[in-house]
Amino acid sequence: MSDVEKWKSELKKLNSEYAKIKTLPPEERGKFGREMNAKKQKILAAISAAEAEAESTSITPIDISAPAAPNEAIPHVSRGSKHPLMTELDRVIQIYASMGFDIMESRQLDDELHMFDSLNFPKDHPARDGYDTFRTSENFIPPAHTSTMQHRALKKYKRKLDEGGKIAVAIPGRVFRNEDADATHEHTFYQCEGVFVSKDATMGQMFAVLKHFFEAYYGQKLKIKTQPGYFPFTEPSAELLIEKPASLGGKGGDWLEMLGCGMIHPNVLKMADIDPEIYHGFAWGGGIDRLAMLKYGLSDVRYFESGKLDFLEEF
Amino acid sequence: MLISLNEIKKYVSVPTDVTDQKLLELIGSRLVEIEETIDLAPRYHGIYIAKVVSCEPIPDTHLHLCAIDAGEHNAEFNQLENGLIQVVCGAPNVHAGMLAVWITPGSIVPETYDNENFKLSVRKLRGYESNGMLAGADELGLDTEHKFIAEVDPKIARPGQALAEVFDLNDIILDVENKSLTHRPDCFGLIGFAREVAGILGVHFEEPAVFSGTERMSKAGELPIEVKISDAELCPRYSCAVFELPKHEKSKYLTHDQVFLAKAGMRAIDPMVDLTNILMLETGQPLHAFDYDKLVTVGEAEAPKIVVRAAKDGEELQLLDGKTISCTTDDILITSNDVPVALAGAMGGKNTDIDASTTRVVLESATFSLYHLRKTQMAHGIFSEAITRFTKGQPATMTLSVLVEAVHRLDVGVLANADDYPGKEKQNVVKITTDEINGLLGTGYSVEEIVKTLENVGFKVEVSEITAQGGVHVSVRGANDQAGAGPNHGPLGLDSESATAPRAETSRQDPVRCSVNTAALKVTVPKWRTDIHIKEDIIEEVGRLLGYDNIALSLPTRPFIEATIDPLISLKTELRAILSDNLSMHELLTYSFVSQSLLEKVGMEVDNSYEIVNSISPELQRFRQQIVPSLLDKVRENLKSGHRDFCLYEMNQVSVKSAGLTSEGTPQLKMHLGIVDLGDFYQLKMKLLAMFRELKVSLEYKQLSPETAKHDSYLEPKRSAEIFVQGQKIGAFGEVRAAVLRQFKLDKTVSALELNLEKLSTCTREMKTKFKLSKFPFVERDLTLKVDEEAPFGRFDQVLVGYFDEKKLIAEVTPVSIYQGDDTATKNLSFHLKFSDPEKTLKTEEISAIMEEITIAVSQIGAEVV
Repeated sequence: MSDVEKWKSELKKLNSEYAKIKTLPPEERGKFGREMNAKKQKILAAISAAEAEAESTSITPIDISAPAAPNEAIPHVSRGSKHPLMTELDRVIQIYASMGFDIMESRQLDDELHMFDSLNFPKDHPARDGYDTFRTSENFIPPAHTSTMQHRALKKYKRKLDEGGKIAVAIPGRVFRNEDADATHEHTFYQCEGVFVSKDATMGQMFAVLKHFFEAYYGQKLKIKTQPGYFPFTEPSAELLIEKPASLGGKGGDWLEMLGCGMIHPNVLKMADIDPEIYHGFAWGGGIDRLAMLKYGLSDVRYFESGKLDFLEEF
Repeated sequence: MLISLNEIKKYVSVPTDVTDQKLLELIGSRLVEIEETIDLAPRYHGIYIAKVVSCEPIPDTHLHLCAIDAGEHNAEFNQLENGLIQVVCGAPNVHAGMLAVWITPGSIVPETYDNENFKLSVRKLRGYESNGMLAGADELGLDTEHKFIAEVDPKIARPGQALAEVFDLNDIILDVENKSLTHRPDCFGLIGFAREVAGILGVHFEEPAVFSGTERMSKAGELPIEVKISDAELCPRYSCAVFELPKHEKSKYLTHDQVFLAKAGMRAIDPMVDLTNILMLETGQPLHAFDYDKLVTVGEAEAPKIVVRAAKDGEELQLLDGKTISCTTDDILITSNDVPVALAGAMGGKNTDIDASTTRVVLESATFSLYHLRKTQMAHGIFSEAITRFTKGQPATMTLSVLVEAVHRLDVGVLANADDYPGKEKQNVVKITTDEINGLLGTGYSVEEIVKTLENVGFKVEVSEITAQGGVHVSVRGANDQAGAGPNHGPLGLDSESATAPRAETSRQDPVRCSVNTAALKVTVPKWRTDIHIKEDIIEEVGRLLGYDNIALSLPTRPFIEATIDPLISLKTELRAILSDNLSMHELLTYSFVSQSLLEKVGMEVDNSYEIVNSISPELQRFRQQIVPSLLDKVRENLKSGHRDFCLYEMNQVSVKSAGLTSEGTPQLKMHLGIVDLGDFYQLKMKLLAMFRELKVSLEYKQLSPETAKHDSYLEPKRSAEIFVQGQKIGAFGEVRAAVLRQFKLDKTVSALELNLEKLSTCTREMKTKFKLSKFPFVERDLTLKVDEEAPFGRFDQVLVGYFDEKKLIAEVTPVSIYQGDDTATKNLSFHLKFSDPEKTLKTEEISAIMEEITIAVSQIGAEVV
């Protein structure tokens, strides 16, 4: 006889004893009833405990390390992946937008005017060669930097200056350089440009904006420093470095070159009908591929455009 | 470019508290990008001057057994009984009495340093113990000479002295990134570089004679020479001097000049060439020597008439290296009596070179159009130290001064000279106020600081209109701001930890008032600074020399209005989440440039793609018209590496020539979404529906039109559809044609979708206002319709949905199956119906009536309820 059955027969016996109540004098019936109920509660508790125990012995334990029960199909949960470069680009955009920068995208086919002329590159200047640009048979240019959008951004948002405001734009996009691909060079890569114009823009503001951007991006306080740079479209110009963040394994003293920047050359403002006597601005541009490579510790930039799922599934 | 720190220090007195490390940091942050610093000291460690005391030939060998004396260092090594050191030497010039260079056992041969790091030891040669070696200049990394060992002039060294001490090799070499000095021709000479270093250190730079001296050349003889520049654009100035070739023999000793050149990565040739190279390294001005008499004879004339002119197309010239080049009109030639004698700025001609017969030379000091020389450099592949400098645009003002210096150092009498200078530019003067400088930098530098900074590097500054003013209008650093440059602050920022110390930030809303005076400055630009023209150039000088890292940070203010994100960018972010996270697709990025053959594989018109004329390879020759072909190209590779049933997508720009140009005259670009799915039409359709459901946009399909079939040529027209949103066609999707799949070596069903995202990014999203909720119970019924094989599913689906709508019933019509038997002309469509009346509970007879009405409704469109 199992425990459950034993207790159930006890219960039956108890129930049959209830009939006695009629034989008792009325003053004793209350006491009798309370005693009987207490006994009954005890038995009921014993029954449910015995039942629970009996049930648990009948449940088969599982192997939590196995992907499926024996003889069952292994369930497949498919997952997709986002391209790491696009994830970083999105993050960069979100930060700039939250800092108040309007966001527009760079063009992948452009012309001499935007790529060079509007950026104060003298005609036939060797600096133009330095960009190793591709050209189409119509002499259009797949741009070599997102600065190709500066002139458009200035013209597009000039009305903000007229309305007493400022121009603040960030421009991500794909750019191209005519160089052979190797582990650290790609002919196709992504950059993000920043353009800021106001009546009182200073270099100190530029460094402050960039420092804040990188601190937001890496989620920690960072040190920055500069080294001289040369771009025909900014004067003064500089290269910005950040101290390698702890999240990238930086231990202090390692510096990473992040972008080129500078105060917008008056000729660039003039080309966009902005009076450089009244307005000043700053601009910068930096690579997104580098951000992603540093973040994920990648050593070969060529994975990005490889289309290999072996690589992409990791993201 | 290689720059010796010791050479710089010869021109600049570096304050004692500035260590080399600090100096390098300052140079790196304020002048130039340093790619690498090479510390020479460890390379020359353990290398001494030693006197060869005795030198006996070892019989039957070319070797000599030498006993050498390295003074106090002898005791550190295995000494002979007489206290000397034994070394075996194979060089033919080893002889008793000479001073040689001894690499001691345990030291590394400098030439192999950082490579194989060849360390010498005590070893036996032909049975004789040899302690280290007597080194040749090549082994010391100072020359290419390898037959002889280096001999040192006893006038400059004594035995036991360290080689590094004698030849100034305890030095640090900076390998600087030339690109970061593209606009600074003056910094391509040591003097110019040193001047900048002085400026950075806040030290006044004493101009050496070559820069400060007179431009006059005293003439000692009378010999005819004439110079004519045909076009000042090509050559702003051409100076030259004629003199007897000095009969200086090449020294048998290792010389300071040789080491100087070696540190710059050059080699000694002969005294005349070495001097021109040294002057070039010092001043940035390249010089070239011709044989005077050959200049006369090439033109079969009485006297040389030098003309600088553009080359004629196809004009030929044999260069010094023996190669004959064919010129283009971009090249500039130096001619004598109209015979080409040099490719200007690049290389001299063979016909006028200096050789053993030369007695009189013409030394040229000129400057040429950097644009033309850039083309010459590319066309003829000449990358010399000289042309590197010429292509930065050496200032015309300097040619004669450098020539005068050369004549002076050669100590020769000038027989003739000429100086044609049609490209004179007026001296640049920039007027600027200190407010403008501080205003753009965001600094509070005093007038005195600014003036001193500019004057230190050769600018002349006239100060006027000084007014004391409370500088509230300037965003300034507080007086006790640690990174700020207050009036007592040195330009180095040395009072703080380092030039790279973290900056303090000041709030722009709460400027700290500090008294900054202001002044109008008239800045006269030194003759060697051809790059300074406008106010911003002056501002850069001040900001850079005083250190951008000393500028206090202050964020600009902004009003509380939202930033706008281009709707296409927002849509892409949204789609990325839907496609990757919800629909398990993989996002790819593929190149914007594709091959002609890829376009042909999918049947696209190749000439409708923009062609890249200077493409890296045929694989990257055309700008893509659509995304799908690039994705199709990635399928096989991923299948081969074991991936199954995947779905790929990419969002990127595409362009077709036939779309024409934008209003600004640039190619029309469209942002497209491309998807390639390893499945049939229906699988992709379900994903598409899910995507649009998330976007809250309803879409319609139509059978592929012939026009679309031509455009999306990879789609099988019979198994594809066009997609419409709010009445506008935005793309198409369907199964890829079998012929196309064969081109990609794919043997399974693949579907593809290509969407123009522009319309989708701006179209109105639908707000859901109808919910399938009812307070009364839902009735569930299954319904199977037998219909004609050809009848489209959508017809019956629509009638059922339409019926419930009309009856104002809340209903869900879910397709369950489509069954078609083997040999029947009909098919069975099964639906699961779930409906409720929002007003009341449906009674049994009402339900029967509804089912009856449905039966009638579908029978009118040819369906029989089974």
